[in-house]
Amino acid sequence: MLVRDYMTRHPVMVEPSISVMEAQGVMAETHVRHLPVIQEGKRLVGLLTRERLRIPPTDLGSLNVWEISRFLSNLKVRDVMVQRKDVITIEPDATVEEAAQTMAENRIGSLPVLEEDIVVGIITEVDLLVQLSQLLGAGVKGVRATVRVPDAIGEFAKITGAIASRGWGIYSGGGVPAPKHPGYWDMVVKVRNVKKDEIAAVLQQIEGQELIDVRDV
Amino acid sequence: MSESTAVQAPVLKIENVAISYETRYGDVEAVREVSFDVRRATTFGVVGESGCGKSTVAFGIVDFLGANGKIVGGSIKFQGRELVGRSQEELRKLRGDQIAMVYQDPMQALNPSVTIGDQLAEVLTVHRGIAKKEAWQKSIRMLDRVYMPDAANVMDRYPHQISGGQQQRVVIAMALLNNPALLIMDEPTTALDVTVEAVVLDLIEDLKRDFDTAIVYITHDLGVVARVCNYVGVMYAGEMVETGPVEALYDDPQHPYTQGLMRCVPRLGTTKESSRLYPIRGRVPAPKDRPKGACIFAPRCDYATEKCRSEGPKLREIRPGHQVRCFYAKEIDAAAWQPPAGLVPDLAPPPEAEGETILELEGLRTYYEQASRSVLSLVGLGEKQYVKAVDDVSLALPKGKTLGIVGESGCGKSTLAKTIVGLESPTEGQVEFLEFDISIPVSQRDMDLIEELQMVFQNPDSTMNPSYKVGQQIGRPLRRFKTVPADQVRDEVIRLLNAVRLDGRYYDRLPRQLSGGEKQRVGIARAFASRPELVLCDEPVSALDVSVQAAVLNLLLEIQREHGTTMMFIAHDLSVVRFFSDYVAVMYLGHIVEIGPAEAIYAPPYHPYTEALLSAVPIPDPKAEQKHIRLEGTVPSALNPPSGCVFHTRCPRRDLVPGGNQICEEEIPPWRYNTGDHRIYCHIPLEDLRRLDPVVTTS
Repeated sequence: MLVRDYMTRHPVMVEPSISVMEAQGVMAETHVRHLPVIQEGKRLVGLLTRERLRIPPTDLGSLNVWEISRFLSNLKVRDVMVQRKDVITIEPDATVEEAAQTMAENRIGSLPVLEEDIVVGIITEVDLLVQLSQLLGAGVKGVRATVRVPDAIGEFAKITGAIASRGWGIYSGGGVPAPKHPGYWDMVVKVRNVKKDEIAAVLQQIEGQELIDVRDV
Repeated sequence: MSESTAVQAPVLKIENVAISYETRYGDVEAVREVSFDVRRATTFGVVGESGCGKSTVAFGIVDFLGANGKIVGGSIKFQGRELVGRSQEELRKLRGDQIAMVYQDPMQALNPSVTIGDQLAEVLTVHRGIAKKEAWQKSIRMLDRVYMPDAANVMDRYPHQISGGQQQRVVIAMALLNNPALLIMDEPTTALDVTVEAVVLDLIEDLKRDFDTAIVYITHDLGVVARVCNYVGVMYAGEMVETGPVEALYDDPQHPYTQGLMRCVPRLGTTKESSRLYPIRGRVPAPKDRPKGACIFAPRCDYATEKCRSEGPKLREIRPGHQVRCFYAKEIDAAAWQPPAGLVPDLAPPPEAEGETILELEGLRTYYEQASRSVLSLVGLGEKQYVKAVDDVSLALPKGKTLGIVGESGCGKSTLAKTIVGLESPTEGQVEFLEFDISIPVSQRDMDLIEELQMVFQNPDSTMNPSYKVGQQIGRPLRRFKTVPADQVRDEVIRLLNAVRLDGRYYDRLPRQLSGGEKQRVGIARAFASRPELVLCDEPVSALDVSVQAAVLNLLLEIQREHGTTMMFIAHDLSVVRFFSDYVAVMYLGHIVEIGPAEAIYAPPYHPYTEALLSAVPIPDPKAEQKHIRLEGTVPSALNPPSGCVFHTRCPRRDLVPGGNQICEEEIPPWRYNTGDHRIYCHIPLEDLRRLDPVVTTS
């Protein structure tokens, strides 16, 4: 689960010299929200996002309608883009969670993926959400069970052991620290080809754990 | 690839593009109303016969149309940016290093005087400003990636020092060094042998998967499309007549032209007894003669109505993603199609009794002497070296039958034909044809012998005298052999022209006024003029489009049945050979490795080389399952062939040899006789070869 596997290769990119109007057209045409700005050799020089295209009204306040039109058509990508030094990037060999963390901490929606300053891809929040949904087996029919377990070694093994002892297989799973319950973890597993009541019965018998949710999905 | 890419916009979006060339007839529209999308990690195949505008579309995308070509309408969007109407400088920036092209002939893309390494590294040092040393390392890694054997050493070689397949891999590596979003490939495997082609096609598949590249793949070969493409567009006379997912289009072609194309190609395994090839009547009109305000295919269509002749249909969606340019696509039932009268000749039944043997080769060897590089050779003392082009070939051919000869280039197919026809002298061996000894060169041969032994060549352009009229060229053998009295030559030529389905008006035409298919017909008429017993056909249809190829094959069959002519048919296309031949010989490095009745060659037991060849043939059926056997390396030099079994250096089945495979390197393999005339030149016992599964299984 590295960035190189989940990034979009060959992202749509623009040069700094084109007009903002044209860049807007590219965004509309290709349905993308983040355009790496490059010079020759695909070297990154900036990043254009939808937010950057919103011109602050104060910049236009003193202009009349004709001046606004000229102002907009003269505006180049290099005038509005996030400058290279402010663009946060990532390497293709970084982990997906590093990417997620970087994006969350900086409140940004995308990271250009660079190999020696050359753009090889882009990873966006959507790519990460896709990965999260796959991690938890979204879109696959089965039973999804959430068990709250104490934060101790061997607790997850109890769940996998109980499921394996019945000859079932875990399709997907994961765990997070239980919200508002310090000292506990919520483990989610998805099991296919099994009845909800059967698996509930098995999981309820595990000592020290609590089955907090089970449902067909 | 993440799933979110599925909803992303296409990398390349072409809409209603029209491209014209300025000619002395005025502006000629070469391509019109072409639309298609190419998405990341998919291959879009553009298929059609020559002159249909396939390459024009490819060149149009990058605007390399030459001084007289221009895009006159429509839109080409790459990554959301319009390419049409921009200046060359803008285009250059926009394409930058995001679009790459691979052409048919790798030697045209490589500089012959610069080493491979310097050429590859230059891409990175110039475009990316990467340091020389690092660029060199990256280039080696990329060569490894395209499965170049011994990549580090290949870097120091010049293009002529590596094989054609390897050259093409270098070109692909060069294209990929910049990691382009879009790769345009124009017939990249057409010049390659079938085994090499298979490896390159596998490579293209892998690269598409690993690099998420969008690929536009241009080819005339329906088999190649079925193997590498996800979507396909069929072009006819400058228009896209049908486009859709590859399975749907092959399974249920909607346009009469696509249906016609499918009927032209022999499927691997079909024979002249079990099926027929149906050519498409007429020919592709030149751009200036295309029908205007009408369906472009109407003049050749069996379903055309008044509406088709007075109104041009638009491309319309018939199923999701499957579009066709035909008014009647929904009504036409391809399965109910009947060939119109006269499209295919009525064949005389094949001769029943096994005829007497008319050609017999016994231990035939044709060696070319090679000057030694040693200084001693200057005074005649050096050790002589020989290129063993044909080495110990024995075969017998009964009258009225066809022997197909297949093998990679350099295997000795053509030398064998040249030896029989007398253009080369055999070094050793018995060669008998009728009552003649044919080991003497053609210049000393008896006129009677030359009369009975004729040849049809691959390239009709280079075998016809451009300044002689067609009639004179066909008449020459008639006069020379006195086949007919001198005052009847003209009538006989016209009879021959009619026999090859050309009318008498062709008598006064010059070769340049003929299409490729017509020239080949004249070549056939000339070969058959003296009413020979044996005709050698050296790749007679490989330079022709599929619909013309079908017509020429039918013609050869018809003439053969009528006169009881015996034929040797040399070809690299295994489907065509299977279709056309009664017997097949598989050659490798001068040796026949397997020979027998055609049906026996295409079913187990196989010689391991035959098996590999069959596994490499592109089959025009995306659902056919083929065994995946790929040969390593290239054909070794015939100057110094491997010891023991000549195939042992590349044999994928050596582990089947009982008692360790040392024997393959040391001993010449025995002939193993299967049923009938079928024999295999291999150390592996027949029982083990029989146990192998058939190469091709169709559902």
